[in-house]
Amino acid sequence: MTMQDVADFFTSSIVHKWIIEQFWLFPLCETLHFIGLSFMFGALLVVDGRILGLCKFVSMKESMKFIPVAIAGFAVNLTTGYFFMTSDPNNYIYNYGFQWKMIMIVVAGINALWFWFGEHKQLLALADGEEAPFRAKVIALISILVWISVIILGRMIPYTDN
Amino acid sequence: MLMDFLLWYENGPVGVFVRESLWGYPFVLTSHAIGMATVMGVALMTCMRVMGYAKGVSVLAFDKLFTVGWAGFLLNLWSGIMLFAGSASMYFFQWTFQLKIGAILLGGVLLKVVMNSVRSNQSGWVQKFWAALCMTSWLVGVTTGRLMAYITA
Repeated sequence: MTMQDVADFFTSSIVHKWIIEQFWLFPLCETLHFIGLSFMFGALLVVDGRILGLCKFVSMKESMKFIPVAIAGFAVNLTTGYFFMTSDPNNYIYNYGFQWKMIMIVVAGINALWFWFGEHKQLLALADGEEAPFRAKVIALISILVWISVIILGRMIPYTDN
Repeated sequence: MLMDFLLWYENGPVGVFVRESLWGYPFVLTSHAIGMATVMGVALMTCMRVMGYAKGVSVLAFDKLFTVGWAGFLLNLWSGIMLFAGSASMYFFQWTFQLKIGAILLGGVLLKVVMNSVRSNQSGWVQKFWAALCMTSWLVGVTTGRLMAYITA
């Protein structure tokens, strides 16, 4: 399967036709993409902020309740991102900014899995005010930095045409 | 007088930098997106908490996050002033821009009201009402911000 096959697959979908024909759909998706980003990044600031020691007196277990908010924000952005990609697959798929954005999202995903399977249980056992382990802090810092890079690369897409 | 000022700002060095420099506009626009995610993120999470989500987290814990939120706000203030220079004489008269600025100002004031009411232990429903209004205001701000690119009248 070539890159062009992937692009053709998206072009032939009903969503492609829909987003091309409905002039309001693209701006709506853009707005939802920014709202989803804000919810996701805000929730990550609460969770990662607690791990990094920004508000240590907060219960770690309680701060973890913001993880579903981050996942919901990501789900909105994954859906709206699919709409963007489908609107003009030949542009997106060969775009360096887009390619790097996707790579960084995969890195963020691997980091999240590392967090969930490697540190989550240990963190839940922390008492209020107790410092998180160093490895968890590294994961939290990577999370913030990688998502900032995703925002940067996303904004660069219009300027990094191949 | 107003138009003279807008044209002076637009045709000055900042406006020229944003319009003509190869990386000027993308750099400032990217900074605006990072600042937005930060300040909106902190505002939205604070409002969610005050409205009753994750009750085990002390609302006052968000005071610490406000430092991060302020950094995001200042980044957006700076980048917003820069972006405005790109087409000041157009943006100023766009209703989407006017609504965006109004919504952000209202959102900021309401966030202050929400936190003040939390600190003074006011009754729950009053706080929740202000928090819901505050969240709506920030969401209107980001929506009108995006629509500025599509509705230029």
